[in-house]
Amino acid sequence: MTATAKSASAPPSARPRKPRTGPGAYLAALAVIAITVWAAVGIEFDLSPLWTDLGRGWFIIQEFLQPNWAFIARTVGPWTETLSIALIATTVGCTIGLGMALLASRVTTANPVLYRAAKLFLSVVRSLPDVGYGLLFFALVGAGSLAGILALIMFNIGIIAKLTSETIDAVDRGPLEAADAAGAHALQRARYVVTPSILPNYLSYCLYVLELNIRASVVIGIVGGGGIGATLSVEFARFNYSNVSAIVVLLFVVVFSIDLVSQSIRRRLA
Amino acid sequence: MTAPAARRGASPRPSAPSRTRYTLMQLGLLALIVIAVTVANARWERLAEIPAQSLVYGELMLRGVLQNPFSEPYATYWSDALRLMFESLQIAWIGTVIGALLSFPLAFLAASTVAPRWIVFPTRQCLNIVRAIPELVFAIAIMLPIFGLGPLAGALAIGVGSIGTLGKLTSEAIESVPPGPSEALRAAGASTLQRLRFAVTPQILPEVIAFWLYRFEINIRASAILGILGAGGVGSLLAQVFERRDWERVGITLAVIIIVTIIVDQISGAVRHRVIEGAPTSKRTALV
Repeated sequence: MTATAKSASAPPSARPRKPRTGPGAYLAALAVIAITVWAAVGIEFDLSPLWTDLGRGWFIIQEFLQPNWAFIARTVGPWTETLSIALIATTVGCTIGLGMALLASRVTTANPVLYRAAKLFLSVVRSLPDVGYGLLFFALVGAGSLAGILALIMFNIGIIAKLTSETIDAVDRGPLEAADAAGAHALQRARYVVTPSILPNYLSYCLYVLELNIRASVVIGIVGGGGIGATLSVEFARFNYSNVSAIVVLLFVVVFSIDLVSQSIRRRLA
Repeated sequence: MTAPAARRGASPRPSAPSRTRYTLMQLGLLALIVIAVTVANARWERLAEIPAQSLVYGELMLRGVLQNPFSEPYATYWSDALRLMFESLQIAWIGTVIGALLSFPLAFLAASTVAPRWIVFPTRQCLNIVRAIPELVFAIAIMLPIFGLGPLAGALAIGVGSIGTLGKLTSEAIESVPPGPSEALRAAGASTLQRLRFAVTPQILPEVIAFWLYRFEINIRASAILGILGAGGVGSLLAQVFERRDWERVGITLAVIIIVTIIVDQISGAVRHRVIEGAPTSKRTALV
């Protein structure tokens, strides 16, 4: 009330008063600065090696700039392994992930206990990084691509289920109500209403996961998941940096071309 | 004109659209998967051993978690894992700050509504290249040789790795901003920089802060990955205890990772919602 009275009494061309910044904003900024300082001290943040130790890293970087192209011919086997690991994991992970997503959305799961349980299960699954699963399955089934496939499946279930269940939450209510009115049960609703309406989004998430898997399977290979990652870690341990850089360049090419293909498919889906 | 109406009166069921293309695509995909299963070199027979083995190891891990956490040596295990998990959080945070600070100006250069085309194109390509390279490669190729094994190398690798995605998302946010406020400022005689500062930035900031927090959540997991290479954090510990097959400690370390990650995710998610949706409405009505 007082605010409107004041603005009425002021001349019409007066500049409006700048809104005051609340204490919350200052507190938030302070918290961000405090966390940053705490973290910087904790990891001993210091950019001076960039000047002082550039020489130490320089010879390695030089080797990197001269990739050993001949080595690529010997990586064909590991590469097909990596690609098939990624493809199998994407297929299985995305299928299980769709089922979990249906369980983890209020729209498709009326039972609150089941819904909560699915949500909790998914946040536990998502909290472990892909390499954690890599180590776990390496211990369970030994080194090789099976460990990599299983680790990526777990990793994919978490991502797909989260993205898809959020899409399901936002699904158009009209067709759902129509299905309810026609007497559909939960499975029929999921099959004939929810799945068709989320399908374009879901497929584009699957492609996104396939891209992620190529990258992740390299990392998982380093901890014993087979594929090109295993080769990479062997060459790295032998200090064959020019071989490592050949692998990295090829990795870049593969990731980039899969990115291009999936982008064009996604554009058609949208 | 009358023919379709008459047909509608008879109400025959429309014929189903052809599914030949879909069937062919599905068959092709199926063939690809079958090929993948055969060339993957996986020892599929070992799948059968998993249930029994995971029970044995699961029980061992659970035993470690259920021990009295205040008795030695379990107290040390828990505090070690927690300390290193906090180091992982620190790596992830510094990485996110670096990524945010560097990607913000780059995003303006990559937005076609702000910068001229001869700047937009190369900037976008740079962001794409950064996005395609995994953090791990930055760590191995550039950071470890110069900064040595340690959390700093991890944080820098994560920071550089975050620029690609953050820059892309931020530039898309800049491009989708409604032009009204910017045009108003232009009419009032504002320079380009003033328009970016007072019209564009306020409009994109909530969304961009949400991207940063989301990236922080991703970076927590990424910092664990780099730890396995020796770049500090809880990943190094996890790799060590797995190598020694010290299952009780594996259980404790996994429990710490899961619990801390879920808590940080919850906090970050709550802040993201608050930033995107603004203050709770009850508070706003109280102020009016």
